[in-house]
Amino acid sequence: MYGMNDIVWLTMRRMRLPLIVLLLVFFASVLVMVTLPGVNAEGEPVHLSYLDAAYFVAIMSTTIGFGEIPYPFTDTQRMVVLALVFPNVIAWLYSFGVILQLLLDRQFQQVMARSRFGRKVRGMGSDSFYLVCGFGSTGYVVVQGLLARGKRAVVMDADEDLVHARALDPRFTFTPIFGGDPTIPANLERAGLERDNCRGVIITTDDDHANLTMAITSKLLRPSLPVFARSEDDRVSDNMRSFGTDHVINPYEIFAERLYLALTSPIKYLVQDWLITVPGKPMRHRKLEPRTGRWIVCGAGRFGSQVIERLARDGTPYTVVDVHPERSGDYEGAILGRGTEAHTLKQAGIEDAVGIIACTGDDIDNLSIIMTARELNDKLFQIVRQEDQRNTPLFDKLGADLVAQRSLIVARRILAVATNPMLATFLDHLVHENDEFAEKVFARLKACVETYCGQGVEDWPSPQQWTVELDASHAPGAAALFEADMELTLSYLLHNTRSERDEDLHCVCLEIERGAQRLFLPANSTRLQPGDRLLFAGWGRARHEMMWSLEDPVLLLNYATPGPAPRTSIGRWLWRRRQADSGRI
Amino acid sequence: MNFEKTSFAFFIVLALTLNFGFFIGDIDNPAHHDAMELGAALVVSIIATILKFGDRSSMGAVFLATSLVADLQLLLAAIFWGLAISNGGVTPEVVARVVSLSGGALLANLVSVTLLVAEAIVYRR
Repeated sequence: MYGMNDIVWLTMRRMRLPLIVLLLVFFASVLVMVTLPGVNAEGEPVHLSYLDAAYFVAIMSTTIGFGEIPYPFTDTQRMVVLALVFPNVIAWLYSFGVILQLLLDRQFQQVMARSRFGRKVRGMGSDSFYLVCGFGSTGYVVVQGLLARGKRAVVMDADEDLVHARALDPRFTFTPIFGGDPTIPANLERAGLERDNCRGVIITTDDDHANLTMAITSKLLRPSLPVFARSEDDRVSDNMRSFGTDHVINPYEIFAERLYLALTSPIKYLVQDWLITVPGKPMRHRKLEPRTGRWIVCGAGRFGSQVIERLARDGTPYTVVDVHPERSGDYEGAILGRGTEAHTLKQAGIEDAVGIIACTGDDIDNLSIIMTARELNDKLFQIVRQEDQRNTPLFDKLGADLVAQRSLIVARRILAVATNPMLATFLDHLVHENDEFAEKVFARLKACVETYCGQGVEDWPSPQQWTVELDASHAPGAAALFEADMELTLSYLLHNTRSERDEDLHCVCLEIERGAQRLFLPANSTRLQPGDRLLFAGWGRARHEMMWSLEDPVLLLNYATPGPAPRTSIGRWLWRRRQADSGRI
Repeated sequence: MNFEKTSFAFFIVLALTLNFGFFIGDIDNPAHHDAMELGAALVVSIIATILKFGDRSSMGAVFLATSLVADLQLLLAAIFWGLAISNGGVTPEVVARVVSLSGGALLANLVSVTLLVAEAIVYRR
């Protein structure tokens, strides 16, 4: 395919002329040195042998110069050598220059980088990985999230400078990163699209058309592989879905949906927040409390218009503020202006509004809008849009109720659905169920994290989520119980089976998937069956200990039976005999 | 009280102690090394191996492997000893060979005992 022979071929093609020149000059010089007579120590005439001559010319032309061999030269020889030095040295320097030029050549470096990348991808062996196209702020967060969850990634982005800058990060040492256009099918293949251990394609660039191209290519080359694509345009989204893209992620839609949740069901919003935050990050405790009333929307671009649409659908009154007359003209009672000045906000009726949404395309404007609005009305519910990752400290300092960051919204959603498909269905259910269900989930999680952190701790870390599958290969421990026809209830899995103390793990079972059946928030007394898939959210060592229970052949059995469970053949034989004896009595 | 664990630990440690008893002394002095002790170490070591059959955990697999190594070394030592007796006497060279083989088995037995401690720490019940 590509790789080594490309490099060899390029080198060969470039080096053709310098090598020919070098060889001609070299052999001509050797011939001259052989035919010229010298004198030996006794003063008799001698000729240099071919070996001596070749050795001398090589040493001379490379400017190493060990001296005159085998005997000191005569004046005639020295005059000839004087004439030979210059063409030889020039031929060497010429070849050398061409080689250096080749190494510095952009095209050659690209070929080198490509073959290195290919080697790195192949070197991943059978580790499963996600192919991430686009290494902008979204791709960057996605890759970090994948690594934090113990998954691997292969990354590609058309912007070479960006790739070089990000590849310096020591966290990505073992992540193959390539600066090449991911819309080219050959590049996707090079990145391992066709490899068995590729688990999915994640498309995150901010160019909708490029995203569409990559989604089509991936689906054509490997129809069975899940594709997660970002798209900011409804038509493109529909197009992607039409050929079977598994998840189309539109940040504006997601944000509008999240905003709707935040406004209509703070509890659902909070639970969703807990479950999609990067594990270990501190979580929001308090529920948001937006009041009902009129909202002010500053900036009616793509972001703003989605929000406005959502507000209108709920029948929430709103006032639009926009600096572009052609945009603000679309809305009734819209105010022309930036919203960064007090008089514009006053005109929009800031004093009697309940909330403000600053979603212009400019971070500094958005910060300014919120700060100005606060001066005028300190009870406002504030939502602010952030575009640039680097401004995060400013937004943290601002302390608005909600910060919407496009790249982060997309990245979190992709991570949630790509790394844990069960979580996606659970979140879906959460949104469509009534508030009561969300309250129940919240109470469970809260009780769990409180026992984990202890009372009085303010900062709760967000949980990790994981899925377990009760089959013989993934969970021999559970299979042992099924084989022995014993009951396996959920409470067994929630127990620390390695500990002598009677302690439960800090985790909550969110969902059991049994064929087409789904059980949400199952009770601890639920009987499990072979082939069940379970979704957990938990803290600390919960996942680690659960894996012990499932992967060790007898820990669960040990816990389920009164005496210690036998580990070995002899032990099992004795145990069976004892069972039979007690049965007879 | 876990009978299975206790019995296995008993035999593994006994194999180690017997093995050490045989090994200690001048390497080529027949007076310092007792054939009966070598035989006992071999038998006990084999019993320990059999006790580990059928343990499907990863720890069990490593146990079985180390224990088999000890058996192999002791078995070779016993064969050399037996051959020497039937071929006209136990010379210092033979004793040295047998004792060094048992030294290898001693090392394997030490690994087994280390694993035993590790297992006790990993499975806290």
